[in-house]
Order: sequence, then structure tokens, then C-alpha cells
Amino acid sequence: MCDHNKNIYLPYLATVEEVIDETPDVRTLRLVFQDEQVRENFTFRAGQFAEYSAFGAGESTFCIASSPTRKGYIECCFRAVGRVTESLRRLEVGDTMGVRGPYGNSFPIEQFYGKNLLFVTGGIALPPLRTLIWNCLDLRDKFGGITIVYGARTEADLVYKRELKEWEERSDVKLVKTVDPGGNGPEWDGKVGFVPTVLDELAPAAENTIALVCGPPIMIKFTLPVLEKLGFGDEEIYTTLENRMKCGLGKCGRCNVGNIYVCKDGPVFTAKQVKAMPLEY
Amino acid sequence: MQSEQIDTKYYSAITEAIRAEARRILSDGTVTALIGYAAGRRKGAVQPIVISAAEDSDKLLFSAASVNNLVVYLTKAKKDVPKSGRIGIVVKSCDLKALVGLLGESQLKREQLYLIGVPCSGVLASVMQPDQQLTTTTIAAKCTECSELIPPGCDFVPTAEPLATPALEQRYAAEIARLEAMTPAERWEYWKEQFSKCIKCYACRQVCPFCFCEQCLCDRNRPQMVEQTPRPSGNTAWHLVRAMHLAGRCAGCAECERVCPMDIPLNLLNRKMAKELKELFGSEAGFTVQDKGPLNSYDEHDDQSFIR
Amino acid sequence: MQKQITEANLRLLLDSLLFKGQRVVGPRRTAKTVLYEPLASASELVMDELPRRSVKEAFFPVCEDLLEYRKQGQQVVLDNITPDRFPETVLIGVRPCDAAAIPVLDAVFSWDYQDQFFLERRKKTTIIGLACTQADDACFCSAVGLAPNDPKGADLMLTPLQGGGFLVASQSEKGEAFLTSWQDRFTEPDGTATQPLAALEPKPLDLKKIKSWLDDHFEDAAWDSIAVRCVGCGACAFVCPACHCFDIIDEGTEKAGKRRKFWDACGFWKFTHHASGHNPRDLQPKRYRNRIMHKFKYYDDKFGQTLCTGCGRCIRVCPVGIDIAGVLEEIQEKE
Repeated sequence: MCDHNKNIYLPYLATVEEVIDETPDVRTLRLVFQDEQVRENFTFRAGQFAEYSAFGAGESTFCIASSPTRKGYIECCFRAVGRVTESLRRLEVGDTMGVRGPYGNSFPIEQFYGKNLLFVTGGIALPPLRTLIWNCLDLRDKFGGITIVYGARTEADLVYKRELKEWEERSDVKLVKTVDPGGNGPEWDGKVGFVPTVLDELAPAAENTIALVCGPPIMIKFTLPVLEKLGFGDEEIYTTLENRMKCGLGKCGRCNVGNIYVCKDGPVFTAKQVKAMPLEY
Repeated sequence: MQSEQIDTKYYSAITEAIRAEARRILSDGTVTALIGYAAGRRKGAVQPIVISAAEDSDKLLFSAASVNNLVVYLTKAKKDVPKSGRIGIVVKSCDLKALVGLLGESQLKREQLYLIGVPCSGVLASVMQPDQQLTTTTIAAKCTECSELIPPGCDFVPTAEPLATPALEQRYAAEIARLEAMTPAERWEYWKEQFSKCIKCYACRQVCPFCFCEQCLCDRNRPQMVEQTPRPSGNTAWHLVRAMHLAGRCAGCAECERVCPMDIPLNLLNRKMAKELKELFGSEAGFTVQDKGPLNSYDEHDDQSFIR
Repeated sequence: MQKQITEANLRLLLDSLLFKGQRVVGPRRTAKTVLYEPLASASELVMDELPRRSVKEAFFPVCEDLLEYRKQGQQVVLDNITPDRFPETVLIGVRPCDAAAIPVLDAVFSWDYQDQFFLERRKKTTIIGLACTQADDACFCSAVGLAPNDPKGADLMLTPLQGGGFLVASQSEKGEAFLTSWQDRFTEPDGTATQPLAALEPKPLDLKKIKSWLDDHFEDAAWDSIAVRCVGCGACAFVCPACHCFDIIDEGTEKAGKRRKFWDACGFWKFTHHASGHNPRDLQPKRYRNRIMHKFKYYDDKFGQTLCTGCGRCIRVCPVGIDIAGVLEEIQEKE
């Protein structure tokens, strides 16, 4: 890894290798580091995030959406909602952007060995879990059953459509996809209903299972009680928190939820940790 | 110049009158809350207070350290101040001019306010050291140009005659004249030095009753109109933008200048703008509600001499 | 090591440092306001007034460049602005409430990631503290465990003597080295008594008791009543020796520009505002609560230190007279 010790705010330069429009407003960028040393030595764990630069506009915080098991590139996935993400969206293949990271804690994947995994997520919240999903699928025999419950407002809003197909076709993964009532097109072959409802109906077993939940606050609010009902303990449910960030490394003082710095103590937390936090996220 | 003390002994009578009136209007439900001045921890310190219980009326006071323009708490920018029902507020003349301006901009409704006007002989220029006598040296510059010591049109004014104050040199007028006499290059040097001190704390904006935009233009980044960082060019742009946005509206309460932690003479800019608007359009902040300010109305007979 | 020096000789010493090309920063009057600024001559040094802003900016500037970018076609060239170029500096006349905050800030600026912009300046700076013989009723350093002559954070400590001059005590290797290299300017202490130190009014605060209230009262009506008057500016955070929050921004055009970091404050509504429109601290009481919590609870939870040195600047500059010492006394009285 390049010695960025003299200037911790200096990003690595990366070239945009591929641009994928996941939905009308969500885009994936596949990035390759320009420096050979960085390309070879950059490592991260599923759940960590990076600060992505659109030079001239600034930096934005997203998870590293690709799996650590896949070398040679990283991916980020974002919706253009502000100045930086709008700039990122204007990037074309061959353009240069910056990456600072990896930052934050990560999913304690080793503690999941031998267990079943239940992923529950919606909309653009799939990327922070997708990194872990591929990480686990690339080490498939270390885990028990893998179930993914994923929904979006409409069919068009589903992210990673190619991969949803791949997961559906695999016999060692169970994918339950859903759209909100009214969001299904004429050829929709998945479920229709809000994610918490679909989860409730599915009623997956809690025994020896880790639940990984990521979604908009409203989805989390209704999903956690369902998981509790199914018998998941607070320390068997993991989530990732988002908060406004700038430095990503614990100094600018902006991302704290109580005395928890999301960029240092998170972004991965158990439901137990989240429940202990004051309501300011 | 010899510093003369200004007699403010009658301020204690004002304090009693405000307390009695507050007790009355809170007990009988005339108002649901009242914004006034109360003592702080330090000797002589005064801070704004919002009370809604009649028994808290004894916390209210008025002194030479009652510098705050409380009108800022009525604006939509201050969401935390209770706005239901009729609100009482203690105002000096300078504060009242700002309130009148806000009425003209449809930001406030007169019938939802109960105005307690204070016959004021002046307040301190700075309360960094609040335990001070009010003298011709410590008095705020704005007070040297105040023409209406008793705020008109209020719902209650304690009967007290502000005692004749020593004749005071109009400080802003004098300073504006000094700057006007400079060459443009000299004036630019003066303001460059002043603006380079700015650290973008936005205290000036946050205390201003007219800066009630829920998202200030300079807080937006699409587009980034004014550089955010506290550097000379961005600072200059910030202060000029604010002066322009206040032109024709600013009531001269001078709170911006008082609160600037870097002692930048901000009100000078606003007074200069006010002077221009008086000369060009005959308009100035006063006690009569005006629907249209000079810069948001057009008249064919407007002075056009500045178009060259 | 303890030495003595007259004021005249101290100023001569500073002039010698300046003559040698040494950068000397101390309280200096600029158009009415006293600030810690580079001195052009020792006669500029002000020793009887607390600077309006703290000394943190000698290590953590109001605004500084992090990198420069230039676009060349699809490529971007970065000019790495590294801290190697910070000059050696002697900081003179630093009050205890300012000096004591610097080691407190060391904790956050070296938390896992070493912020060399701060740390390199630390390495290259010698801090000469100055004990206080005067205080006003906004000062409360003694209430938060400090004192008008506390040498915490200083490499050398100057204590005013009766009749003029200073007792000079070294507090660190850097201080010793300074005394040694300029030893001919100092004399041995001759037993002159020091001037009485500033007598502060506020009684010591029980920071543990205050913290335990904060631990349990994230939600409390007190925050509304304390913060209703807060107008949400950044004056308190910016004059504070310990507040260190900042923002990072790109300035320039899409073709070329700089990335800068500059002071930010949790009092601003924008501080935690998400691009989606969501704001976890959407009302001022929540923002003000964060200020008190960060200073008197979170920094203790994370680093075992209080993020306040009792300098009283926030009390003096607050547009609406919010008095942090008063707030702490109020909290201490609860339960």
C-alpha cells in the first residue's frame, strides 16, 4: 500500500473501468487503482467504506460494494442526490476519481462460519450487504443456508438485477425478491409486499442463524420486531448505519451518534449496540 | 473626549413595570409565552429568556446590558421558540424597526404579538464584560444615532421618561464620512484588512432578524455561490452578498456588529447601504409597516443616476 | 530547570530569535483585536490581554490546503501538500487555558490515523506559557481542574515576578533545550516572589457528577430551556481552544483547484444534514446538547479527558450570553 502516512487526507487515484446503471437513478462504478502497488496491496473487509472523490466537487461516503475476495478492482454504488454524487454520475469510463480508505469496522465474518445467514434488505441498501453476500458465496462451504430477502419500491428500483438472477439460479442460495404493492410489472415473478411483511410470511428459522439487515429507517423499524418475533437475539442481528461523514477517520467530529463514531466504531453494528445508542441517526 | 456617564437608574423602574405587565398578560392568557431579558451568571450579564409561566415574571429585567434584538426569536428560522398563540416580546426602538420590517415582509402578524416597548437611553456596545457603566464611551454606536427613544405603537410601554442624554456624536455618520473621503484603493485596503479577520462563524447572520431564509444562499452547494472557506476572497463575497440582501431591509439594530467575535464593523456596510437608499429612493427603516421595500418594487420615477 | 529573566531581556531574546529568522508567534494586536499571530518584532508582543481566539490555530489553522488537483484529459494529477514544510515556531505568551488544550487535542489527532498537519506542527513548536495574574468572571479554568499557573502543555512556563520580570521553569526536554541554547539571556532565580495569581470566582466543578448526569440524560427538558436562546452560529466553537471539528471541501473548478479543510461547528444546522434531507440534529437544542455532551462526556468516554479548559471565551463571545460555566453549575445541581 502506498505510504499515505504523511497526508491521511490524500486519496488513491483510480480509473473508472466500468459504469453500470443499476436503476434510472442508481449507478455502479467499477474502479481500478492507477498505482500498481495499491492495486496489488489494497485489501479491505466486507462492511468497510471509503471516501470517493469527484475532484472539484468533493468526497462522498459509500461502502465498498464489491467483495474482498475479488481482486484487481473495487466497486461503489450510489444514487445521485447531491453535488458530489451528481459529479460522480458525470464520470465516464477512463475518467479518474479518488478513493480514500478502507475505513471503519467490518462484519465479523469469521464469527459467522458454520451458521446460516439471513440477509434482509431493500432498495439501495443492498450494496453494503452485497459485498458480504459475495464474500460468503466465494467461501460457500463455510456457511450453512444462505437466504436473501430483498425488495424495492418497483421492479425498476431493484439494484444488481444481473446478480439477483445469478442468485436465483444458484441452488445453494435462496432468494426471495419482492416489490411494494403496485410496483410489479406484468412479467414480475417475485413476491408483492413490503419487505418486513414478506419476511414475516417467510418465517425463516432463527436457530444458528445470523440476520443481516440494511435498509431505510422505515424498513428497519418494521423489520426488527419481525426478527425478534422469530427468535433472533439482539446480538445475532447486524446492521450498518449511515451518517453524514467527511473525514471518515474519526477527526472531523461530525458522524457521532452519542459517543459512538460511525466511521470508527461502525458502520457495522449489532442490533444490541444500535438499541443502546441515543436517537440521533 | 471626556467620557460622561449616562443615567440609567430609571431602568430599575422599567424592570418592575415589565415584570408586572408580564405577570398580568401571562396570568390572564393574553399571551402564551413572553420573550424578554433575564440575568445571566456573571455580574451584570443579561441573556434572552422565554417564559410561559406567570411566576417566572420576576426573572425579567431591563438594563444597559439588554443588548439583544429579541425579534430574531420570532422569525421562522428559530423553530424551537414556541409560536402557538400570542407571544409577548420586549423591544427597544431599534428592535421594533426590525419587527416592523418583518411585518412588511409578511413574516409576522401584528395580532399575534404583544409588544412591550422600552423607553431606552441606550445600551452597551459590547457585553463581553457586562458589568460596565453606560457612558458616552461604552454606549453602542447605534444609540448615538437613535431618534426615537420611546418605541411607538406598542401594546404596553412603561411610563418613564428617558432622561436627556448627553449630545452624542453620530458615530456611524462620522465613520462613513471618513471612509467616503478615502480613495477607492484606500477603502479597499481598509475592508480587505477587516474581512481577512472573518472566520465564517456566521454569528452576524444568525442574530439578524432579516436572515430568516431556511437555507441561506451561501449554505447551498448547487451551485456554490460564495466560497465557504474563511479566506479573504470568500469572506469579502460573503459580507457583500449579505449587505446586498439586507439593503432596504436592515433596520440598523447593529447586532451583527456587536456579535462579531473578530470586531469587524459590519454595521458600517449596512448603514452605508441605508444611506444610499435614503438618498436614491427616499426609503428608510421606520415604524410604519411598508408592503414593498425599495428594492422589491419598481417605479418609473426611480432615480437612475447610478446607471452610467 | 528554573531561571529568571526581566521583561526587557525577554523582548530582546525574542528579537534575537526573529533576527535569526526564527518564527515567533504570540499575542499581537491587529486592528483592535488581540490574536496569536506571527510577530514582526518583540515590541508587538501583548502580555496583558487574553487573545480573542485560542492558540489551537497554531496547530490547527482556520483553513488549510490538503492537496491540489489538476485535470489533464481523463487523468488527474495530485500535488500532495505534505506537512514537511511547516516552519519551526516558538509560541510565546500562551495562557494556561490555551496550552492545556493542546495535549488534549493530541488524542483525537493521533487516534489511529496520524494527522501530520497537526502533529508535525506540534513537533516543530516550542510552547512558552505565561501564568495569569488577572482574570474576569468568565474565566473558570480552576473549575475544570486547571489553574492560572498550570504548566500543562507548555514546554517553558513564565510566571510574573513582583516588580517585573519572570520566573522561567522548563517543563519538557524541548524547554530545557531552549533554556540551554539561550542560557546567557537568563539569570539564576534571585528569590523574588512571584506576583499573586489571578483569583477565580467559580468553585471547582464536580466533572464526574456532571458526566454521570450526562450519561443518563440524553433526553431531558433541560436541553430545551438551555438552548432555546442559541441561534446556531459557530462563535463558541471557533474561539474555543479545544473544539476541533472541521469540514473538507474542494474549491476551484472541475479542471483545477484545491481540497481544503476548515473549521466547522456542531452548532450549525448543516453540520449533520444529509443530502437526502434527513438531519439527526434538526433542532437547536439537539445541536447544543451535542456540544456539552462532546466536551464533558464523549471525549472522556473515548480519551479519558475533558474537552474544555475553562478559558471563558465562549461565554464572552456568545451572541446570546449562553454561559457554559452556568450550564455546568445548573447540571451539577440536579438530583
